[in-house]
Amino acid sequence: MKRLTWLALFLAVVVSAVWVAAPAMSQSKVVKIGDLGSKIGVFEGYGKYQTMGVQMAVEELNAKGGVLGHRIEIISEDDETKPGPAVRKAEKLILQDDVKLLVGAVSSGSTMAVMDVTKKHKTIHWNSVSCAEFMRTTKFHKYYFSNQPDSRQQANGLAKYILDKMGKKVYLFYTDYAMGQSDGRQFKTAFEKLGGEVVGVAGAPLDTKDFSPWFGAINASGADVLFLAFAGTDSLRLMTQLHSFGMTKKYKLAGIDCFLLQQDLAAIADPMEGFVQLNHFSPYNPDPNMQAYNARFKKKFGVDANIAAGSYDAVLFWAAAVEKAKSFDPDKVAAAHEGMCRDNTHIGRQCIRKEDHQVVMDMHLYQVKAGQNLPIARIDGKDAIGEPMVGKDPVEGFTWEIKKKK
Amino acid sequence: MSRVFGWRSAVAFAALAALPWLPGVPKYYLLLAFDALLFGAIAMSLDLLIGYTGLVSFGHAAFYGLGAYATAILLERGILSLWACLGFAIVVVGLYAAVVSYFATARRGIYFALLTLIFAEVVFTFFRYTQTFGGSDGIQGLPDALVFPGVAIDTPARKYYLVWVYLLLAYAVCRVLVTSHFGRVLVAIRENEDRARFLGYNVQKYKMLACMISALLTGLGGAIYPIRAAFATPDLMLWTESGEFIISVMIGGLGTLVGPIIGGVFFTLLRDKVSSYVDWYFIVIGVVLVVIVLFLPKGLLGLRRALGFGRWRATA
Repeated sequence: MKRLTWLALFLAVVVSAVWVAAPAMSQSKVVKIGDLGSKIGVFEGYGKYQTMGVQMAVEELNAKGGVLGHRIEIISEDDETKPGPAVRKAEKLILQDDVKLLVGAVSSGSTMAVMDVTKKHKTIHWNSVSCAEFMRTTKFHKYYFSNQPDSRQQANGLAKYILDKMGKKVYLFYTDYAMGQSDGRQFKTAFEKLGGEVVGVAGAPLDTKDFSPWFGAINASGADVLFLAFAGTDSLRLMTQLHSFGMTKKYKLAGIDCFLLQQDLAAIADPMEGFVQLNHFSPYNPDPNMQAYNARFKKKFGVDANIAAGSYDAVLFWAAAVEKAKSFDPDKVAAAHEGMCRDNTHIGRQCIRKEDHQVVMDMHLYQVKAGQNLPIARIDGKDAIGEPMVGKDPVEGFTWEIKKKK
Repeated sequence: MSRVFGWRSAVAFAALAALPWLPGVPKYYLLLAFDALLFGAIAMSLDLLIGYTGLVSFGHAAFYGLGAYATAILLERGILSLWACLGFAIVVVGLYAAVVSYFATARRGIYFALLTLIFAEVVFTFFRYTQTFGGSDGIQGLPDALVFPGVAIDTPARKYYLVWVYLLLAYAVCRVLVTSHFGRVLVAIRENEDRARFLGYNVQKYKMLACMISALLTGLGGAIYPIRAAFATPDLMLWTESGEFIISVMIGGLGTLVGPIIGGVFFTLLRDKVSSYVDWYFIVIGVVLVVIVLFLPKGLLGLRRALGFGRWRATA
């Protein structure tokens, strides 16, 4: 029995030593990058497609010799769509795995929490899915970059179209956390500025299962348009329930760019019919750049791409900046990013604005028809991005108060 | 003093204190060790209730989360003193725990468990909906706390020693309690509450005290969490968090104090490592838990006996 005990202890020590030493032994001429996102939970789909985008970029880069002669290795981690695990995994990626780039997270709440980690440990951080406005304003730091159109860009592009073509009275329904609040604040501000009327606002918690308690207030508001700031499985449930209450026919519908992945659209094509959103990707856009990207993506993964295409561009931007800086030093790489442009991306030319590290790029207004996101107008990136507001609240003095018009 | 710290405890704490000095230990492992020891200490605090008093609390996450918010609220407002944060957490968690324990300990068994759960859900919902405290996103981007003016808890090693001191003090408190007359009354209540009452003990008073002490130790654990993570969110109060504390107690071994520490450490390390390899890591953790419950009913501490090291000296 004693021999067995010592044997078990010996094996445990050997396994532990290998476990700890393994990462250290595989580091020669390899540079690691971290992919942090939701692999489970309400935003699972976005996290998985973000990983695909990163994989595609890394394969292409490695096929050309990697970056600065280093083969790129991806380490993917799941943040469970919660700030706690997101911070823990970001620390693991930076402090243990020594990643030189962190892409993620998906949920805006998690991304903001991760920004504190990347700021503290001076790590280049690309966001290509989260869209809360605070990342390029009050939370901004020099190592942070984003090619996801944020709330302000989306609101600026969408508000005018809704006012001109859809209706003057909007009810604003949002998911009650960083992303939804930010989208709601920006849209209300932009819409009222143009002369529109927001007749009601309501927030439902993330991962709400039953939205019907809010439907009475929506129906009593007298709105023409229902503006929805939800994402992931929340959107699926919301649209199904709105449809079953007959509200998808009663109101014109509009929403944010990450409202629903194209892959989920077919399943609820009827409820989504006519839905308008501002977006930077659709596989049904005939634009040659977008089709070329989608064809490559589909060839590799067997499915259409979606808005997580931004993660692909994020990795390529970082690799180009490293080559330009001739170093992995985060300060030099961050400086090399500023002002950098890439042509012939899925949305054409993308340029990183120096002041707030937000990528300026064109977007399209899309409308859902028979389960497909079809383009109805192109919005110039410069018209939507707004002025840089680092360290400032972009809608200072904002109030959710409803201003009734006579 | 010897009843608090045997030579094994002293060696274990000395070894833990030496961890940051080991050559080549990545900073991340110190932060992971922080999480593991914190989880272990909270599981130990919960063991006072589950293992010694026979009361299963499904609401300990609320004490933990309230402690975290107490610190976060002060740090956010520029009050950086560690002592102020801990003091505020004691007041906030103490007041809440007094209310919960008063009502919950008036009931037994499943009713106690349900009342703790319901109170915790109320607190969770309040923080989730209250924008003053950041709503669903909580309070983020907190500055480093100060032990003394000019001495910030700003490195992984300093944060690690903070949790080490917390664990040491929490263990000492729990060990003194369970080896005292008070601890023996708790065990008597667990074994036969009616008989303890018949012997003249004010059972509800003892249960309330056990609940309060466990809650305050958990709240203090919560109070040091934002010092390491720089945020506090409502998720910290979610019932799943309470479930993980209970799982840690069961993994380690009920009514042993040391067992739940080991259970908490084991759970944290298992979650960290497995989740890096598979997305469905909770299934793996679930299987491990089932195996432990089926084959090691006394938890991981029971493994000592199976491996021929003799039985752990349990005080209960």
